[in-house]
Amino acid sequence: MNQLILSFIIFLPAIVALGLMITTKEVKTVRNISFVTTTVVLALALKLFMDYEANSSMQFVVNTPWIESYGINYYLGLDGFSLTILMMIAILIPSSYLFLWEKENKSYFINMLLVQTGVTGALLSLDIVLFYFFWELMLIPIFLMIGMYGSGDKVATTLKVTIYTMAGSLFMLLAIFYLGMSYFNEFGSWSFAYNDLAKITSLDSSTKMWLFLAFLFAFAIKIPLFPVHTWIMATYKNAPTGAVFILSSIMAKLGIYAVIRFLIPIFPEEVALYSTELVAVGIFGMIYFGVAALTQEDVKRMFAYSSASHLSFIAAGVFSLTSYGLNGALYLIMAHAIATGALFLLVGNIQDQTGTKKIKELGGIAKKAPILTFIFAIMLFSNVGLPGTSGFVSEFLIIFGVFQFNIYLGIIAALSVIIGASYMLWMFQRAILQDRDESLGELKMKDLKIKEILALTPWIVLIFVMGFFPDIFTNIYEPTVSSYLQNILQIGATK
Amino acid sequence: MNEFILILPTLIVLVGALVLMLLSMYEKISTKTNIVATSLFLVLALVFSLINISSSYSVQAYEGFLHNVLTFDSFSNFFNTILILGTLLTVLIGESYFRNRDYFKGEFFSLILFALFGMMILTQSNELITAFIALEIASFAVYIMVGFNQDNSKRIEALFKYLVLGAFVGAFFLLGLVLVYGAVVSTSFTDIKVYIDNASVNDLVLVYIGLTLILFTFLFKIAAFPFQSWLLDVYQGAPMIVTAFMASTFKISIFAFFLRLIIDTISPIFDFWDGLLTIVVLVTLVIGTWLAITQEKVKRMLAASSIVHTGYILMAFVALTYENTQIANIDVSHSIMFYLLAYMLAALGSFGLISQINSKSVIRVTFSDFNGLAKQRPFYALMLTIFLLSLAGIPGTIGFIGKLYVFTETIKAGYILIAILAIIATIISIYYYFRLIAAMYFYDAKDECEIQNFNEKNISNYAVAFIAIATVIGGIGSAIIFFIPTLSIDTITNLTNIAIQSLFIK
Repeated sequence: MNQLILSFIIFLPAIVALGLMITTKEVKTVRNISFVTTTVVLALALKLFMDYEANSSMQFVVNTPWIESYGINYYLGLDGFSLTILMMIAILIPSSYLFLWEKENKSYFINMLLVQTGVTGALLSLDIVLFYFFWELMLIPIFLMIGMYGSGDKVATTLKVTIYTMAGSLFMLLAIFYLGMSYFNEFGSWSFAYNDLAKITSLDSSTKMWLFLAFLFAFAIKIPLFPVHTWIMATYKNAPTGAVFILSSIMAKLGIYAVIRFLIPIFPEEVALYSTELVAVGIFGMIYFGVAALTQEDVKRMFAYSSASHLSFIAAGVFSLTSYGLNGALYLIMAHAIATGALFLLVGNIQDQTGTKKIKELGGIAKKAPILTFIFAIMLFSNVGLPGTSGFVSEFLIIFGVFQFNIYLGIIAALSVIIGASYMLWMFQRAILQDRDESLGELKMKDLKIKEILALTPWIVLIFVMGFFPDIFTNIYEPTVSSYLQNILQIGATK
Repeated sequence: MNEFILILPTLIVLVGALVLMLLSMYEKISTKTNIVATSLFLVLALVFSLINISSSYSVQAYEGFLHNVLTFDSFSNFFNTILILGTLLTVLIGESYFRNRDYFKGEFFSLILFALFGMMILTQSNELITAFIALEIASFAVYIMVGFNQDNSKRIEALFKYLVLGAFVGAFFLLGLVLVYGAVVSTSFTDIKVYIDNASVNDLVLVYIGLTLILFTFLFKIAAFPFQSWLLDVYQGAPMIVTAFMASTFKISIFAFFLRLIIDTISPIFDFWDGLLTIVVLVTLVIGTWLAITQEKVKRMLAASSIVHTGYILMAFVALTYENTQIANIDVSHSIMFYLLAYMLAALGSFGLISQINSKSVIRVTFSDFNGLAKQRPFYALMLTIFLLSLAGIPGTIGFIGKLYVFTETIKAGYILIAILAIIATIISIYYYFRLIAAMYFYDAKDECEIQNFNEKNISNYAVAFIAIATVIGGIGSAIIFFIPTLSIDTITNLTNIAIQSLFIK
C-alpha cells in the first residue's frame, strides 16, 4: 500500500477529473465529487503524515523504469521538505473548493483537480525529467482557467504567462539534457535522478555556471524573483480567484521548493559562491515589491505585490544557506500560503459582490461584513508578522538566518518588514474599516456564508497553532534541514 | 524465413491499387465501398508487416527475379508499418470528408494506394534508380491528389507549383545519380559503399557533387530551406486530407530513404555535409517559425509549423557523426525514427481533425473561425488540443518524448547552439499553437460557424480518437500508469533499435 500511496495522491485528482469530463454535465455533481476527491487526498496525506518517521531519509520511495533507454525513472519519494508542502497543498485545496463553492462552472473544478495532480506530481518527483513533466503539465489547466474565467484582456494575459513560464522551463529542459548527457559521459549510463546528477564532477566551471543560470531562470520566473516578475501583474489582475490562489499560494512555492530540491543539491558550489548576491536579490525584491505595493490603488494588485515581496523574502531565507534561514523559509512557505491564499480568496469574494477592487471605491465593509473583516484581519496580522501568528515565527527565523549570513543584509531585511506592515495596515484602514464615502452610494455586500467560514476555519486555527507552538511543525522537517545542510553544503547544522 | 511473407505487404498494396483502379471504371460503386475495400487491403498489409516487426533480419528476396534492387529488412519493415498505418488512418479519418465531397471517386483510393506502394518501395530500395522510380511513383500519385479539390480555385496553382517544381527537382536526383554512376559505375548502395570506403579524396569529387544534387531533392521533398517556398501554397490548395497525408506519411518515407542512404551507404563521407546542413537547419527553423507566426489561416499555420518540425528532424541528422568505420552515435537514428512517428501522429491528428470539422457544411479557416469550438464540440476541441500540445512538445504527449530524444542526442553530439535555437523556436511555437487553443476555448463562436447536424458516431471520429489516445499513451507510457498495462515508450525505442541494427546485417 505504501508503495502506491504517493501515486494515488498524485493521480487520483486527474483520474477523477478525466472521468468527470467524460461522464457528466451537471455542475453540482462535478463540484461535489471534486470536493470529495480532494478530501480523500487530504486523508491519504494525513496517513502519510502519521506514517512518516521524522528523520532525514527519503521515504515511501517508488522507483520503476519509465523510459529505460535514457535511464528516466518513475522515481517518487518524500522527505521533510516535501511532506511540509504536501500537507499544505492537501489542506488548502479542499478548503478553497469550499470557498469557491458557488462557481457555476464545471471546468473550473476540473481544472483545479488537474492542477492538483501537476503540483503534487512535481513535488514528489525525484527524477528531474519526471519533475519537468509535471512542472509543465500544471500550467495547462492554469492557462485554461485564466483564459476561460479571467477578466480584462484575459487571452493576452494567459498567453503571456504561459509563454513566459514555459520559456523559462524550456531553457531548464536544455540544461537537464546537458546534465543527463554529462552524467552519461562520465558514468557510462543514463540517469536523471537528482541525486545522481549531483555526483557529476566533469563539468568545467563556466558550463556549470550556464546550467545553473538556466535552472535559476526557470525557478525565478515561477517564484517570481526580481527582475523576471513582470508576468505577475497582468496575471494576478486578470486571472480568476481560483487561479490566483493556486499561482500565489501553491505554484510559487514549488518554485522555492525546486530551488531546495534541485538547484542547491546539483549546483552547491555555484549557490554558495553567489549566495550573497542571491540573498541580496531576495531582499531587494522584498523592498522593491513592498514599495510597489504601497503605491497601488487596487487591492488585488497590492496583494500581488505583497505576495511577490514575501516570496522574495522566502528566497532570501533559502539562499542564506543557514539552518535558521531554511527553517524559516519552509515555515513562511506554509504561513504565506495560508495567509495570502486566504486574502486572495477574500478579495475575490469582495470583488464578486461589489464589482470593484479599488481601495477608493471600497470602505465600510467592516460594518456590512464583520465576520469577513475579522478573518481578513487575522490573515493580515499573520501576513505582517504579528507575534502569536505563524507569520511572526517565520519572519523571525528568516531574519535571524540572514543576520547570521551577513549582518548588513540582516539589518536591511529586518527594516524592510516595516514596509510590509505599513501598506497592509493602511489598506486595511481605508478599504475595510473606515466609513464609506457617501458619494459612492450604498455598499452592496453580504457577509461570508457558513461554507466560506468553514472553509477558512482550519486556516485560522493553523495560523495560531503555528504561531504559538512552532515546535510541532519544525520537528517534522528539522532533521531533513540539518542533514541537508551537512550533506549537501557541508555546513554544520549550527551555522 | 519465408521470403514470400516479407514481400506480401508491398504486394497487397500493389494489388489493392490495381484492383481499385479497375473498379473505378464502375461509377456505381459508392465511396463507402471504396473506403471499405481500401481499408481492407491496408489492414491486411498491416497485419503481414506486423508479423515481422520485432525480428531482426535483412533479406534480398527473390534475387533472380528482383536483381537485388530491393532489400527487405527490419528497417524497411518498421517504416512500412508506419506508412501503412498512416495511410490507413488517413483513409479512416477522411471517411466523412470523402463522403461529403463528390469529387472523391474510386480513382482517389487507387492513387493513395499507389502512393503508398511507391513509398514502400522507396524505403526498401537498394539502389538509386529504383529509389528514383519509387519516389516518382509516389510523387505523381500525390501530384494528382493535390489537384483533386474541384471546389478550390487554388488547386490549379497548387498542383502546377508542386508538379513543375517537383519534376524540376527530380531532375537533380537524376543528374546526381548519373554523376555517382560516372564515378562508381554502379547505382547499387553496396557498390557505392565499397567505392567510398576504398576511394581517395580525388576519386570522390563526382560522388560528392552527385550526392549533393540528390540531397537537394531530399530537401525539396521535405520542404527544408531553401526549397520550402512551395509548401504553403500547395498545402493550402490541396484537399485537407491530402495535406494530412503529405505532411505526415509522405514525408516519413523520404526521411526513411535518406536515413538508410546515410547510415548504410554514405556514412564515411556524410560529415562533409554538416556545414551545409547546419545552415539549412538554422534557416529552416527561422523561416518556418516566421511563417508560422504570421499566418492567419489555421491550415497554413500548421503547414508552416511542419517546416519547423522538419528543422528539428534535420537537426538530428546533423548530429549523426562518423568515427572509426561506423556511425559513432547510432542512438541519434533512433531518436529520428521516434520523432517521425510522434510527428506523424500529431500531424495526422491535427490536419485530419480539421478536415473532419470542415467536412460538414460550415468551413472553418482562420483562427477566429475556430472561436468557441470548445463550447460547441468539446471533444473535438479536446482532441485538437492534445495534438497541438504534442506538436508543441508539452509533457504528457508523444511529442514531448520525441523532442526529448532529439534534443538529448543533438546536445550529446555537441551541437549546443543549434539546440538553443531550436529551443527558442519551440518557445515561439507555443505562441502559435496556444493561440489556436485559446481561440477554441476562450471566445464565443461566430454565428455563421454554428454547427448543425453533426453526426458524432462515424468512423472518422473514432480514428481521430484513436490517434489522440495513442498520442497521450506515447507520452506517458506504461511506467507512470503502471497499474494499467499498456505499450511502453521503450517498446517503440526497441523496435527502432532492431530496425537500425538490421542495416548492419550483411
